[in-house]
Amino acid sequence: MSVVPEARRVSTAIVPGLVRRRRRWPFSPWHLVLIPATIVLLFPFVWLVVTSVETSSEALRFPPDLTPHVIRFQNYPDALNAAPFGRFFFNSAIVALTTVVCNLVLCSAAGYAFARFRFLGRTALFIVMMATLMVPFQVTMIPQFLITKWVGVNLLAGAGIGHIGALILPNAATAFGVFFLRQFFRTMPIEYEDAARVDGANRLKVLWKVVLPLATPALATLAALTFLDSWNNFLWPLIAINSTAASTLPLGLATFQGAHSTEWPLLMAGNVMSLAPMMIVFLIAQRYFVRSVAATGLSGI
Amino acid sequence: MGTNRLRTAGICALAMTVVTGLAACGSGSVATGNSKSIQIWEGYTGVEAKVFARMITQYEKSHPGVKVNTLYVNSDNTLQKVQTAVAGGAPPDIAYLYGSWAPNVAKISSVVTLTSLVKQPGVDWNDFWVGERDVATVNGRVIGMPALVDNLAVVYNKTLFAKAHLPLPSANWTWSQFEADAKKLTISSIKQFGTAYVTPGSEDTVWHWEALLWEAGGQLLNPDNTKAAFDSPAGLTALDALRTMSVTDKSMYLDPTDSAYANLFNSGKVGMLVTGPWDLSAFPNVKYGVQVMPSFPGTTGGHQTISGPDNWVVFNNGASRVKTAENFLLWLTAPAQDKYFTLKTGNLPTRQSTANSPGYQTQMNAALPDVSTFIANLSNVKQARPQIATYPQVSQVIGNMIVAVLLGKQQPKAALDAAAAKVNQILAGSG
Amino acid sequence: MSLSASLALSRRRLGERPGSRRLRRAESLTGWAFVTPATVVIGLFGAAPIIWSLILSFQQNNLLSSNTPFVGLRNYRQMAHDPVVGSAIWHTLIYTVLFVPGTMVVGLFLAVAMNRKLRFMWVYRTAAYATMAISTISEALVFIWLFDPSYGIVNYIFSLLHLPQQQFLNSPSQALYVIVVMTIWGWSGFAVVIYLAALQGVPKDLTEAAAIDGASPVKSFWRITMPLLSPASLFLAVWLTINALQLFDEVYLSTQGGPLGATTVMVYYLYQQAFENFNFGYASAIAYVLFIVILVVTAIQFRIGRRFTYYRS
Repeated sequence: MSVVPEARRVSTAIVPGLVRRRRRWPFSPWHLVLIPATIVLLFPFVWLVVTSVETSSEALRFPPDLTPHVIRFQNYPDALNAAPFGRFFFNSAIVALTTVVCNLVLCSAAGYAFARFRFLGRTALFIVMMATLMVPFQVTMIPQFLITKWVGVNLLAGAGIGHIGALILPNAATAFGVFFLRQFFRTMPIEYEDAARVDGANRLKVLWKVVLPLATPALATLAALTFLDSWNNFLWPLIAINSTAASTLPLGLATFQGAHSTEWPLLMAGNVMSLAPMMIVFLIAQRYFVRSVAATGLSGI
Repeated sequence: MGTNRLRTAGICALAMTVVTGLAACGSGSVATGNSKSIQIWEGYTGVEAKVFARMITQYEKSHPGVKVNTLYVNSDNTLQKVQTAVAGGAPPDIAYLYGSWAPNVAKISSVVTLTSLVKQPGVDWNDFWVGERDVATVNGRVIGMPALVDNLAVVYNKTLFAKAHLPLPSANWTWSQFEADAKKLTISSIKQFGTAYVTPGSEDTVWHWEALLWEAGGQLLNPDNTKAAFDSPAGLTALDALRTMSVTDKSMYLDPTDSAYANLFNSGKVGMLVTGPWDLSAFPNVKYGVQVMPSFPGTTGGHQTISGPDNWVVFNNGASRVKTAENFLLWLTAPAQDKYFTLKTGNLPTRQSTANSPGYQTQMNAALPDVSTFIANLSNVKQARPQIATYPQVSQVIGNMIVAVLLGKQQPKAALDAAAAKVNQILAGSG
Repeated sequence: MSLSASLALSRRRLGERPGSRRLRRAESLTGWAFVTPATVVIGLFGAAPIIWSLILSFQQNNLLSSNTPFVGLRNYRQMAHDPVVGSAIWHTLIYTVLFVPGTMVVGLFLAVAMNRKLRFMWVYRTAAYATMAISTISEALVFIWLFDPSYGIVNYIFSLLHLPQQQFLNSPSQALYVIVVMTIWGWSGFAVVIYLAALQGVPKDLTEAAAIDGASPVKSFWRITMPLLSPASLFLAVWLTINALQLFDEVYLSTQGGPLGATTVMVYYLYQQAFENFNFGYASAIAYVLFIVILVVTAIQFRIGRRFTYYRS
């Protein structure tokens, strides 16, 4: 694997006396790996952004033209005016943020229990949770619809079909989140928890005061992934939502995509605008990765 | 510090949950209770969506007390959403559904029979094209009102024809002329193709070929839909024509994803396309003309085409809401509204009287050049796809057969025989 | 061998000490208190629907008429005579075997490259993340273009390198590999994020000490970094496999299962059966066979993981 010789160069930089060797490069050789990789990773993104400022006649080309003759920023306001996107954006934001918070709370409690406690039925329960990830949504969709409807009628009107609560509650805790955090908690040193327990803290306090602060990278990662999942979710809102007022962004963006004709520039402008919050969430989450690591004293940064 | 942040997060969570609860209460589902309030699931985008919204406003103004709520659902997904809603006991009042689904849609118990409605005086059911009426009728029962009609014709690039010094296609042209033109329009050095064909193996692959099959004098199935009939000399003629272009001449661009062919034509890379009127607005960059599909000389078929009409289907949410929905549909599909909609959107007229009204075709051509050929071509729709519930399975078999031949993986005769055997199995109920 | 056995065994590594019975009961109660909220949600909206669809798999159900008779095992027996099911399983497995390690290797490589302080690092990391955020339809359209036989960039590069031109999505023998490349691209950002988070847990003093002791970076990567990343690797392997075996979106938006069924994977086939052919009962039965496949594969992964995963406790 080519990681290795490159790794040598960088790690030698730490050893005093070898630092000078690195100076022969005006920049880190890692850039030579990362720049081509980034070009590949960003290519579809570039296409997306370019298409979003093309005129519709230029967007209707194959092969696509990445150097448009006219730059049409008007696509952005046009896209926004084509449908009540303010409402869609608001709905998506409420759904995604609430889903993230619920997942962080519920999945960290459950993940911690699976990682650290011995309780009756733990293994069986974990298997059942994992099993819910293994049946494709295409077949569980209809039972889930009926259950959501039942919940809306009998338990919580705001979480019934047609309400945005129906987009939150079924995803308020996910087996993915539980599994993810369970794995992470198991990699953490148990000594801090033991120390806190000797000091008389109860389990909840240990989780809140000791474990979660140490787990910020994992929580930030889960938050970013959950946000993304919720923000991009299409199929479940498609069947669970019955009004424009309760629609989310992906449903709104779909209105640019007819069965026979698609308004590509508007669709892509909408897509770019829809990407922005996800990138912001990631940039925020990314800061937490580093900071919490510094706090744990696990690294020498 | 981390703890503080988490506490803040906790408070945010609480606040958010409250907000959600409120928002959820505010944005409820619509169209419940009030019998004068109905919901329509439609798939209109762009201009169509604007015109449709205007018509609804107009209707609500002229019918005080009636509220028509529309919800956009991409037509590809509508049936899936309808199925789920039906299972949950809450279908919409009206949904826009593809005609190819009709035999299966008819099985839904809450679908309202419109047979007596369309026979009412003033509806003039026979004013709709025969292709539309056929697709809205399942075993003699009318389950929908025509929402859209289309057909296939040849759209060609006038500039490329001129460059190749070819005469433009005439109304009595043949498939061998089409093949020869395609060959001459193919210039591999500049990656220019004579024609293109969609090859995902889906119904889109199949219905293009069905038009050829009919023109060659063939039939897909026997008259009582119990056996395959396409493994005939006509089937061979139709399949050979495609094979000549894709395998022998390499004059046909194969589009396995159904996503590139139209843009290729608009980029001047393809000389001729067999396609429908919906694509015309996607060709702003080329000077195009439209001609009817070529024929196979010496066969009984002549110039034919195929239509894929779509339906408005009514669902039963109580007698009074059904009444409201039916009244709205009668208004929506009446001649005046039909004419208004086609003129504003460029869609083909669903009624023959609209097509024949004075000055109409000139107005249409001004908006979309040569669209009148498609309108005239509606009278070349002489038959419809078999209206059977197993059509989707049959279509998948035929789709794979066509793709196998176009990719040069199978000889036409062998492909036809193998596909016919599979189709017979499906029709016999053991597929 | 079952998932439960492997999990029960792995419990030993958790640093749990046997206590008195009363303490254990208290711990049991606390444990349940912690998992109950998540269990209620996942049980109601995750577990109940899968039991419900198990019932559907014993029905003849087209999701249209309300007449849904029970047909026993007929849907399952029908699968034995359906050649498409066999090839769909085969395509799914080939896809998974290529996609999962491919994504993990690409993700690990990029994460290691990005796990350092460099100028513009936020650009690189954001680029990786963007691959997750971009919609599948955009992704599919770009890859359809890149791999177009006549107009695609990949064939253009091939011609510069004097390699023969390929048919890619038009070729039954190549289309699945194009999907593999497309999805590795789409998931590499996910693997990068997971590995980056895990790499933060690798103490620098350990690798530095190893370097000063004269261990080559190769050695310290394999001996120190990789074992510390093993929980993340297990997580990724399991999660990517679960998703790979349920591949659908990319196929739906590009090849629609073709050409000639070459990219018909299990979920695409059951979708076709459920919503194109109106055999929802049959689709549910296929889903249950897929479920068994995923369960077995995941159990094997956990078992292998137990041997190779290093938990620090």
